[in-house]
Amino acid sequence: MDFTFFQKKQHIWRDWIASYLFLLPALAFFSVFVAYPMLKGIYISFFSYTLRDFDFIGLENYQTLFQDATFGKSMWNTLLIVLIAVPVVVIFSLFVAMMIYKKSEGLRSLFRGVFYLPAVSSVVSITVVWASIYHSNYGILNYITSLFGMEPISWLGDTRTALLSIIVVLITTSVGQPIILYVASLGNIPKSYIEAAQMDRANSWQIFKNILWPMLMPTNLYIIVITTINTFQVFAIIQLLTSGGPMYSTSTVMYGVYEQAFMLGNFGIASAMGVILALVIGVISFIQFKYLGSDVEY
Amino acid sequence: MIAVKKRITGFVSLLLMVSMIAACSSNQESGGANENSGGKEDTSSKQEDTSKPVEITWWNFPTYQALDGEVGKYEKQLIEAFNQKHPDIKVNLEMITFDGGPQKLNVAIATNSAPDVIYDAPGRIIDWAKKDLLAPLDDMFTDEDKNDIAPAFWKQSMANEKIYMYPINTAPFMMAVNKTVFEKIGALDLLPLDKPDRTWTFDEYKKALEAVKEKAPDVIPSGFYAKSQAGDQGTRAYLANLGVSRFLNEEGTSVAINTKETGAALDWLVQAQKDGLVVSGSASLAAADVNDLFLQGKLAFSINYSAVLRAQNAPLKQAEFEDVLLPYPTLDGSEPKLEPYLGGMAIFNNDDEAKIAASKTFIDFVANDPEWGKKSLIQTGGLSVRNSVTGLYDDPEYTYSELARKFVTDPPTIADGYAEVRTFWFPELQRALLGSATGEEALNAFATKANDAIAKAKTANTAAK
Repeated sequence: MDFTFFQKKQHIWRDWIASYLFLLPALAFFSVFVAYPMLKGIYISFFSYTLRDFDFIGLENYQTLFQDATFGKSMWNTLLIVLIAVPVVVIFSLFVAMMIYKKSEGLRSLFRGVFYLPAVSSVVSITVVWASIYHSNYGILNYITSLFGMEPISWLGDTRTALLSIIVVLITTSVGQPIILYVASLGNIPKSYIEAAQMDRANSWQIFKNILWPMLMPTNLYIIVITTINTFQVFAIIQLLTSGGPMYSTSTVMYGVYEQAFMLGNFGIASAMGVILALVIGVISFIQFKYLGSDVEY
Repeated sequence: MIAVKKRITGFVSLLLMVSMIAACSSNQESGGANENSGGKEDTSSKQEDTSKPVEITWWNFPTYQALDGEVGKYEKQLIEAFNQKHPDIKVNLEMITFDGGPQKLNVAIATNSAPDVIYDAPGRIIDWAKKDLLAPLDDMFTDEDKNDIAPAFWKQSMANEKIYMYPINTAPFMMAVNKTVFEKIGALDLLPLDKPDRTWTFDEYKKALEAVKEKAPDVIPSGFYAKSQAGDQGTRAYLANLGVSRFLNEEGTSVAINTKETGAALDWLVQAQKDGLVVSGSASLAAADVNDLFLQGKLAFSINYSAVLRAQNAPLKQAEFEDVLLPYPTLDGSEPKLEPYLGGMAIFNNDDEAKIAASKTFIDFVANDPEWGKKSLIQTGGLSVRNSVTGLYDDPEYTYSELARKFVTDPPTIADGYAEVRTFWFPELQRALLGSATGEEALNAFATKANDAIAKAKTANTAAK
């Protein structure tokens, strides 16, 4: 009797079991802390869920949100922050990484430390420092502008400057990790490619455009997607610096979720906001994957 | 032998099944606030199980001044003293902050894990009461008690004609001035301190601000803030008094602050900010930021103060100066209207009669114990709500605070939908402060949104009764 077929089957079965056993802890963690809350959030979004009620109301929460000018403003602010902050973070971190790239190992470590410090520091601490920098009466920023004869500016209290001030803080807290990733990716690109290009008398721009940039595409995709997702969810900076003001000019969807759920106890509306935000992030991430995806390997 | 094994297995299986059923049913019983209506009738079986101590949870804001700089230390001593008299009740203390505490409470209520006892103010407590989340406390008061406490305090402690908050400490909210600054610039006569009730007019107040601006250029004359909801009473009482109006009407059913006079007061405030009489950038400052400036000696007037805050802020002062309480100035010099701070305790109805009874025993101890009642009251830095309890402090500011109780008016915090109403206040103030609307336009816009929220909440509360 030929046992090969059964042995092969048994082997596949054992591998299957083993692989799923290895996956199990992560799967359990994902199910409990990601999948279940996400599904529950979607479920709650169809209810009038307040401190008193839990009544099914279908799509009423979504209808309310689409008719709410404040929510529209929050969504617009969120998109604006993403549109400004993400390109700046990507370009600035790539620029810094390129500057560090050619330095000696010692200097590279120093720059890594300097730029990674904000990434590992608490966002709250950094934001509190920025709050004192922006202070309209005693802030260092107004002191510097006064040296050029400028009138004091209420950086966080003026609709023209508040959102931009928030974006600056967001960028300073977001660039650390991309810089480290870019430096690591640049370090992994085989030197032989660059040496070959140099032998062909390619200049720095040509090397960057034709060798470094294409080879950085997987890193670009990762950084752009992660920065976009994180930027969509900016909360602590807004809560600490402006509480969404003045006149909702810095209110974002995530801040709205917090306000509705935890300040007003409207968990149904907050969940609907969360679902809409997740959908927007999902669509944008899908587009990013579709157009920035790369199969470069080195 | 096999028969014995079978019996043992059968017995163990039965035991497991019974324990599982018991576990499941106890889960169902602990169902929460949102399923209250279905769960309330099943509480009799739990009543008065005297064989083991009843365990209750007390969530407390920093109501008491920190003892030896340690927040919660006084509360622990209080619980220890309570346990000497009531060893059968175990009190688990959890300190919460004014910043994150309200949010934490909302989440706890929504997830059926609310504490048993809370020491808070009517703004939140009466809102919970209207949502049927609290246990009534009517049986804790005799007629004598009721007569000893002013009707204004009862009004704030009740909902649907039942008492839901045990009122304990109070103090009228008002302004404070850095008296030392005025002494230094020789302008003490500009403050109404020689008048027993310290009342004053808008013009007198303006002169005082101008004197500070002129003679003490390193001090900002006064503060204002519109960043977040904390301390919102200071902004509304300040404006309402400058415009001789009220925030809400006497019934608490609609906004009354949107008058021409108050609109003009808001316009003055905007201009005063430009003129350097009010701190600049107030749209981005919070109440705490402004009080910090006051405590640093950089601000002459703070618009959000009380005897309680004065006591709590004393250790936080970063400059040596004497702070004195003042009522808000009024446009015509008429009597000011001060919102009362009122602190008290409430019990969440967590569907456990034993816990509710134990919580009442604990509250009674905190409020009325011959030794710890008075001691606790002083530790809050506030006055007693009882007319019979006076002279707790040997301090002229407390004496004045006692006197200023005659200016206390109805607080808007007990209006239906107040939690939502206050979310509209600061964005409209910001609109005026940034010049996007006149004072009157901003107040009218606020009134429209707030009245709508009050009406909706009233309808919802009536339907739920």
